[in-house]
Amino acid sequence: MIKKITESEVYENTRKRISRRTFIRSGAFLGGSALLVSQLNWACNLLSKAEAGTLTPQEIYELSKAKNIIYSVCLQCHTDCPIKAKLLNGVLVKIDGPAYSSQSMLPHISYSTSPAKAATMEGKLCPKGQAGIQSLYDPYRIVKVLKRTGPRGSNQWETIPFDKAIDEIINGGLLFKNVKGEENRNVLGLKNLYSVRDPNVQKTLSIDAKRVAKKEMTIADFKTKHVDHINLLLDPRHPDLGPINNQFVIQAGRIEHGRKEFAKRWLNDAFGSVNFFEHTSICEQSHHIAYIMATNKYKNGKWFGGKEHMKPDTLNSEFIIYFGTGAFEANFGPPPMAEKVTDGIITGRLKIAVVDPRFSKTAAKAWMWVPLKPGMDGALALGMIRWIIENKRFDRTFLTNANLAAAKDSGEPSWSTAAWLVKIDKDGTPGKYVRASELKLGDENSFVVLKNGIPTAFNPYDTKTAVEGDLMVNTAVQGIQVKSAFQLLWESAASKTLDEWAELCGINSTTITALAQEFTSHGKKSVAEFYRGPVKHTNGYYNALALISLNLMVGNPDWVGGLSVGGGHWHEDGSKPGNPFNLKKMHPNKLGAFGLKISREKAFYEKTTLFNGYPAKRPFYPFTSNLYQEILPSVKADYPYSIKALFLHKGTPGFSVPGAQAQLDVLVNKEKLPLLFACDIVIGESSMFADYIFPDLSVWERWGMPHVTPDVQTKTSKVRQPIVAPLTETVKVFGEEMPICMETIMLAIAEKLNLPGYGGNGLGNGWDFKRPEDYYLKMVANIAIGDKEGETVPDADNPELELFLKSRSHLSKPIFDQQRWEKTVGSDKWKKVVYVLNRGGRYENFIKAYNGNYLGHKFNGLFSLYAEPVATTNHSMTGKPFFGMPVYEPIKDAAGEIVVQDGYDLSLITYKEILGGQSRTLPNDYWLSSILSENYILINSRDAELLGFSNGDKAKVVSTTNPEGVWNFNNGKKKPVVGKVKVIEGIRRGTVAVSWHFGHWAYGATDLKVDGKLIKGDERRTTGLCTNVVLLTDPYLKDVCMTDPIGGSSSFSDTKVKLIKV
Amino acid sequence: MQQTYIKENLVVKMQEDLKRALQKPMNKRSWIMVIDTDKCIGCNACVVSCIAENVSPPGVSYRVVNDIEDGEYPEVSRYFMPTNCQQCDNPPCIEGIPEDAYTKRADGILVFHYDKLKGKKLFQKVENQCPYTAVYYDEGTFYTANTPKLEPYETRPSYEYGEEWSRVGKGQSPINAVRKCHFCLHRLEASMLPACVTTCVGRAMYFGDKNDTDNVVNKLLKNRKWVLINESEGTKPRVFYLTGTILNKETCMTCHG
Repeated sequence: MIKKITESEVYENTRKRISRRTFIRSGAFLGGSALLVSQLNWACNLLSKAEAGTLTPQEIYELSKAKNIIYSVCLQCHTDCPIKAKLLNGVLVKIDGPAYSSQSMLPHISYSTSPAKAATMEGKLCPKGQAGIQSLYDPYRIVKVLKRTGPRGSNQWETIPFDKAIDEIINGGLLFKNVKGEENRNVLGLKNLYSVRDPNVQKTLSIDAKRVAKKEMTIADFKTKHVDHINLLLDPRHPDLGPINNQFVIQAGRIEHGRKEFAKRWLNDAFGSVNFFEHTSICEQSHHIAYIMATNKYKNGKWFGGKEHMKPDTLNSEFIIYFGTGAFEANFGPPPMAEKVTDGIITGRLKIAVVDPRFSKTAAKAWMWVPLKPGMDGALALGMIRWIIENKRFDRTFLTNANLAAAKDSGEPSWSTAAWLVKIDKDGTPGKYVRASELKLGDENSFVVLKNGIPTAFNPYDTKTAVEGDLMVNTAVQGIQVKSAFQLLWESAASKTLDEWAELCGINSTTITALAQEFTSHGKKSVAEFYRGPVKHTNGYYNALALISLNLMVGNPDWVGGLSVGGGHWHEDGSKPGNPFNLKKMHPNKLGAFGLKISREKAFYEKTTLFNGYPAKRPFYPFTSNLYQEILPSVKADYPYSIKALFLHKGTPGFSVPGAQAQLDVLVNKEKLPLLFACDIVIGESSMFADYIFPDLSVWERWGMPHVTPDVQTKTSKVRQPIVAPLTETVKVFGEEMPICMETIMLAIAEKLNLPGYGGNGLGNGWDFKRPEDYYLKMVANIAIGDKEGETVPDADNPELELFLKSRSHLSKPIFDQQRWEKTVGSDKWKKVVYVLNRGGRYENFIKAYNGNYLGHKFNGLFSLYAEPVATTNHSMTGKPFFGMPVYEPIKDAAGEIVVQDGYDLSLITYKEILGGQSRTLPNDYWLSSILSENYILINSRDAELLGFSNGDKAKVVSTTNPEGVWNFNNGKKKPVVGKVKVIEGIRRGTVAVSWHFGHWAYGATDLKVDGKLIKGDERRTTGLCTNVVLLTDPYLKDVCMTDPIGGSSSFSDTKVKLIKV
Repeated sequence: MQQTYIKENLVVKMQEDLKRALQKPMNKRSWIMVIDTDKCIGCNACVVSCIAENVSPPGVSYRVVNDIEDGEYPEVSRYFMPTNCQQCDNPPCIEGIPEDAYTKRADGILVFHYDKLKGKKLFQKVENQCPYTAVYYDEGTFYTANTPKLEPYETRPSYEYGEEWSRVGKGQSPINAVRKCHFCLHRLEASMLPACVTTCVGRAMYFGDKNDTDNVVNKLLKNRKWVLINESEGTKPRVFYLTGTILNKETCMTCHG
């Protein structure tokens, strides 16, 4: 039986588009841009020459010429692929993968290749990246500052001058006196929140607040000592909450290296607020936290500096199990990964298995598809570990090495804590690793193994005396009950039989055995790979740790074909000795920030003055940062304090967070959120609730220094730079003309509030900080000069310098000025900076990827099979300690209770098509939505039959959290969560999947009024459904989604739903 | 253990092959495309690349990637099948079409003359005669028509067939013309591979001269199994589909025998 899924639909969609005439043209959106002129005069010169018959094919084809090419970096997804941007008359018309780039070519061409030669060479780029043109030239881009003229969410706006908007935000007042019901609402401005302004005051308050929290100082003493400054604090009874400055919060969405450092310097270091957030917890945060915990270094009692991301060396692996991810759709990401997999499959080098309830595109090429129950990845890994240990198929040599010397002796770059002894409490709870000092065998920074039964102390980083340990240890040493980390893992794996693990997973135990057998049949060339799928659960961290442990069973780190830390990058932040500009230190009169973040992240409940027994009022998250979903609910709860101003940058909590209604309800709340301003390229589902929206530059108009995926084995520093002239309005800040964007807002506020570290000499003596590139070009210089001496790139030669100017002839002064750019890095470095910019970054040659049997760039470090920091920390609600080893845990709420969803039988998962990310891309990039115009509720044919659904039927998705299945926009409008059912074979029975791109009700999908003029929404942008509003809110907290208490991940895949026919 | 990384960049090699072929007179080279169905990941990068390269309007996409599910849960298969104009050596589509409306070039590429192959009537004839559903009619529409702004990437010129085509002005070719894949002839002549080939994320697309026995495409045809689509109809297509372990020849033939 062959069933065509999409062929007919593709045709249907493309044909439909032809006759679509649903909109009234409304002129240039919000003032338009300068582009219209060039649009009408396309290459007239060329035409006349062509008519004269004097052109060669190469001459006619403008897109093959280096002068029409600028290299930069995509951001249609976070893989950040380098791009080769081709321009005609200053318009970006085609985007390809650069031949220079380690993500686009396999192998990439030599870095020394001239841009003239590289002009006709190009590589891979995914459809999203190529459609970037349509995100740049989105007809719904905003180009001027908007202020709301109606209630929040009413979509009624006026354009106002940039300076006026900045003044109002800084000074506050009766800002909305023309809005009904807000006549008397006095808004506090940022000047009122810029409370502590003296770095010395901030520092002493910070030191003493910490002492109070540690109970080394009494509140009374604190109050007496700081009597002059006590009113600058949020709460004198809790000085550890920090100053009033913390009442200003930045909630950023997709903010990356470059911009991230720029923004944190501004908010943390200059404004003095701790509350800067990225969106990581709605992405893959537990994956990062688990890898960090597994790779932390140990020094003087502290565990720190772990790596957050490792990947298979896909090009040389022989067996990869993709847990809840793949190589051809989301992940990190298809252009670098896919070819390595397809090459491996056709040559017979590589076998893959895909563990995923959905039969993904990657599963299409798999040796085995394992449709397990959502969230059971950890259970499956523990089942495999059980079989591997029982059958002695683990890498004994790798695991017995207890320190660096032992690893070296056996040719292992990395080693683990598998044999290290852990103390066991009277009640059997494992605690800290045993320190040598406790057994009088050594100091407190040495650890202990049993070597042939004899307690032996060692330093983990000792390069001389090799120490190996016994793996299975369960005994008492000098009266102390101990177990090895390996033993603890074994006990966790052995807590259920293979059949029991299989039953939890919803698969056969023979599948577990087959996977484990195959996994241990390729030496070090087997890798367990995962990203988001397994961790978007309340047990996400443990699932991740179990998968990392699986890798350690085969000792694959740092080996060709094994687990890789990636090629890394040259340090744009200037933190390495060779870098010319240490940007962290280039901050005169830096204020700095202190206090508890509104989300209570990176904080231990017991170590704050808020501690008052268990449960805490709301959970604390000691291990994670960027706890996106908890910001607005904490604001609503005023816990640990209230906030006054929120800057929402390029993110959309009201749309993208599970249980989104809880977020939407706060955005509209003027009492809890008195000032809300946003900055984005299009008015989105959350920014439509803002008081002010500032236009941002899109990624094709601005700077950025995104890092490379560890799938790439060579050192790579990508440079995002302006390709086209900015579409946003030009304004003046510090006397300089520049386009409105995030950086301009920050510089303007810095100028008006006189924040330290901006303006003349803002980066130190002789280094002004008046423009975005004063900062970003120094990052480029750091990349060009390199991390250590002798690493610099060559100077650009004269043809290259000429080309640099020629290819930027369409960029005018507000964005590009050669003299200004040269001055901001210094003439001595300029030609090297040009060399890097002409190639869109810096790429180590492919030859450095491997070194014999080892990866060219290695982790060379310690792996924790047992995470001591986690094991020694209590859950802030139950007061019980977490586990150091991976364990199986059912889905639990914030109070630690198992979640029940009776009456709802279908598990709901989300996923991403390669055509879309969670933002931009589908459906607003019309090339992409001409291929996939809406999403579907994917359901197994048997389930569909039982429930009476046929292909194309419409269904509403409901859950215990949202039994009505509806989005409530709080502006009088609602949208039901309704989509078309697609009946397929490739999904686990009992699970339904909905891709996460569609279902928009803003972002160009709705009508707006601007300056009294109606801007019609585009119905192509309203299609499909978004199920985030159906995902569970926490049954205990009730105002936020469920969260992994260790890894911080929001729960995306723990919800059970019903489908109601409509 | 031996390091096994790929030493040869297939795209660079194919571009060298291409340059070598371009040294020869047109009638000595014979362009073919080779698509590896085992390596196609169904990403549609080729589709978007083609649309952007050729400034195709809504409803026109020279390349389509079919996504086909086979089997019954849990024994499921999924195939990805990119299709486009096969540049047939015996093209049925042009039967009864005025001779000045097309050219079958000596290198194999079937050229449609936009100023001649125009109008719905001719389109319907060509469409009905093409067994590959590979031809499209340019209705003169734009993706961003009827939005706040007609965006400039839609009115920029394309370089198809080595000429400049701007879709501004009513009836300006290629508006109202019959459009299809031409192996990116304008890129070939600038020593560049077709846009779908360079951008292919799974590296499933190959291109080269059938007459050059030493190039990438001929090595693939020698070492792998392949099929031609609808071969029995005698169209003599120039797009070869490599089959293998995931999509085998027999499965292909159930639909395309």
